[in-house]
Amino acid sequence: MESSQSSKRYEKIEFLGEGQFATVYKAKDLEDNDAIVAVKKIKLGRRSEAADGINRTALREIKLLQELNHPNIISLRNVFGQKSNVSLVMDFMDTDLEIIIRDKSLILTPANIKSYILQTLLGCEYLHNSWILHRDLKPNNLLINKSGTLKIGDFGLAKFYGSPGRQYTHQVVTRWYRAPELLYGARIYSTGVDIWACGCILAELLLRNPFLPGETDIEQLSTIFSALGTPTEQTWPNVKELPDYLEFKPIQATPLDQIFSAAGYDLIALLNSMMQLDPLRRCSATQALKMPYFSNSPAPSQGSELPLPKSAKEPANESRPNKSAKRRKMDPLDGGEDSIKKFLKF
Amino acid sequence: MAGNFWQSSHYEEWILDKQDLSAKRKSDLQHLTEEEYQKIIILFANFIQALGESVKLRQQIIATATVYFKRFYSRNSLKCVDPSLMSPTCLLLAMKVEEYGPTLSNKIMTSCNNLTKGKFQYAFKQEYPYRLVNVLECEFILLEMMDCCLIVYHPYRPLTEYCAELNDDSILPLAWRIVNDSLRTDACLLYPPYLIAIAAMHLACVMLKKDCQKWFAELSVDFDMILEITQLLLALYDLWRDGYDEKRDIYAILEKMPKAKTNPVAPRS
Repeated sequence: MESSQSSKRYEKIEFLGEGQFATVYKAKDLEDNDAIVAVKKIKLGRRSEAADGINRTALREIKLLQELNHPNIISLRNVFGQKSNVSLVMDFMDTDLEIIIRDKSLILTPANIKSYILQTLLGCEYLHNSWILHRDLKPNNLLINKSGTLKIGDFGLAKFYGSPGRQYTHQVVTRWYRAPELLYGARIYSTGVDIWACGCILAELLLRNPFLPGETDIEQLSTIFSALGTPTEQTWPNVKELPDYLEFKPIQATPLDQIFSAAGYDLIALLNSMMQLDPLRRCSATQALKMPYFSNSPAPSQGSELPLPKSAKEPANESRPNKSAKRRKMDPLDGGEDSIKKFLKF
Repeated sequence: MAGNFWQSSHYEEWILDKQDLSAKRKSDLQHLTEEEYQKIIILFANFIQALGESVKLRQQIIATATVYFKRFYSRNSLKCVDPSLMSPTCLLLAMKVEEYGPTLSNKIMTSCNNLTKGKFQYAFKQEYPYRLVNVLECEFILLEMMDCCLIVYHPYRPLTEYCAELNDDSILPLAWRIVNDSLRTDACLLYPPYLIAIAAMHLACVMLKKDCQKWFAELSVDFDMILEITQLLLALYDLWRDGYDEKRDIYAILEKMPKAKTNPVAPRS
C-alpha cells in the first residue's frame, strides 16, 4: 500500500527523544523540498493493546490536530504506517521552553517572557474556544522554532470538554503543573486546569526554576499551599466537598510580589488571576490576554529577538532546501569545530 | 461533539459535491444500477447498526461508523475492500475516536460471525471469512483514505436544540428516526448535519400534520438544500414502500457486486 512508500519519503536525520508513547526523529521530507520535519513513531503497545489496533493516544492526537489550525498549535503534516505501527509527521521545532528555561547561559528579558506567555495563552485560547482541554501543559510541551514561534504540542492527553455531567480522570497533567482541584481528585473540571499550568509556566520563566516542585501528590498540595496559602471557605468555597480533600495546617499566603520581587505589578496581577486556588475564580485565557500586562510596555519580543540555545542555532540554514547536500559534505568539520579553533590558535 | 463545525475537517474536506460523488461511483455503476448500489450501501448500514447494537453502543458511535463507511466508498470502488470487512473496521475505529472505554474488538468479531450466520444469513450465505487481524490491517487503510479526518458531526445535537426551541415534544422522536434513516442515503456526504436535522424536522412536521411554518420561515437557511435532502429521504421511503424486500432481493444484487480479484486477506487456518 501507500504506507510503505511513505516511510521512504522521510529520511531519518537524527534521534530527538523518547517519551512514554513514542520515539521522535528528525527527518527530511524528500517529497517536499527536503523540508525538515519531526517524525513521531508511536511505540507498539503490549499484546492486549495490539488487539486494539491503532494506538488510542496516537489516534487522539491525529483526530484533534486534524481539526486545529493555529500558529501556536503544532500542525500534523502526514500520517503513515500500518496496523498498530503508526508514525505522525509534524512540524520540526528546534527547541522547547524547558531547554530555554534551564539554559542559564540565556538571558530572558521581560519582553522575551511576555512573548512566550502571550503565545502560550493565544494557543490555549484557541484550544478552549474549540472546546478542547490540553491537560498536559508544561515547558517541555511548548515547542519553539528558530523564528521564535512557540507551538503547543503533544495532544496525547487532550480531550473535548463541555459535555454536561461527563466525568474525567484526574490523573492528568505532570504533577508540578497540576491544579489543586485535580490533586483533590475532582472528576469534573474545565479550562482552569490549563490556565493553572500556564500560571506555573509563567512563574517558572521568572524564577528559571520550577515554581511548585512537589515530590508526591500530597507534597504537591503542601508546596502549593506554602506559597499561595491554604484554601478557606472564603478563597475556595466548597473545597471540602472534593473527593480527595485533605485538611492542611493553615498557612498564610506569601504575597506574590514578595516571591517575584523583580516582576512588575501588571505581571503579578496576571499571575495572581491565573493561580487562584478556586478554579472558578481563575481567569480564562481570553480574560488573561485582555489584562494590562499585555498592552503595557515592554512590547513582547518579535520572533528573531528571542534567545535560542546553542544546540538549536547550529548548524545554520538547515531548514532551507538545497543546502542539505552541501551540509552533508561539511558535516565532518561540524563536529570538529573545537579542533579548528585549536588549530587557529597556533 | 464539540468544536466549531465551520472550521472542522468535516465541513472543509467532507461535504462532497454531487458531481464528484457520482463520478467516483461510475466504475461500480457499470455492474450495478444506481438503485442496486444504494441497496448494497443500505444493507451494510443495517449491518453496522446491528453490530453496534449487539455490543450496546450509543447511536452516536454507530452513526460515526456509518459515515466512515460511506466516506470510504465515496472514494473507492466496492471491489477495493470487501464491505463486510470494512463494516466492523469502521465500528472499531469509531469506538476509539468517540472515546468508548473498553476494547470490544473480539466481541465485535464474534458478532460478525453470529450476525452473518443468523440475522443476515440471507445476504451472506457463508461463514464470515475475516478475523481480527484482517480488521486491524484494514483500519489503517480506512484512516488513510479518510485523510485522517476522524471527527464527524451529526444531526442529533442540532436536532435536539431545534426541537427544544419549537417546544413540542412530539416532533423529536419521529425526527430522530428520520435522521437515523438519513444514514441510509447520501445526505451525510453531501450536506451539513444541521440542514439534515432541519429536513428531518420538516418531514416529521408534515407526517404529524403539525403546522410549524412560522418557525421554519424564520430560519435563514437554503431551502433548496432542505428540499434536496427531503428528496433523498423520500426516495428511500419510496424504495421501502414499493415492496423492496432486502431478505429476498439482496443476495442476487451482491452476486453482481464487483469484488476484489483475489481475496485481499486470506483467513488464517
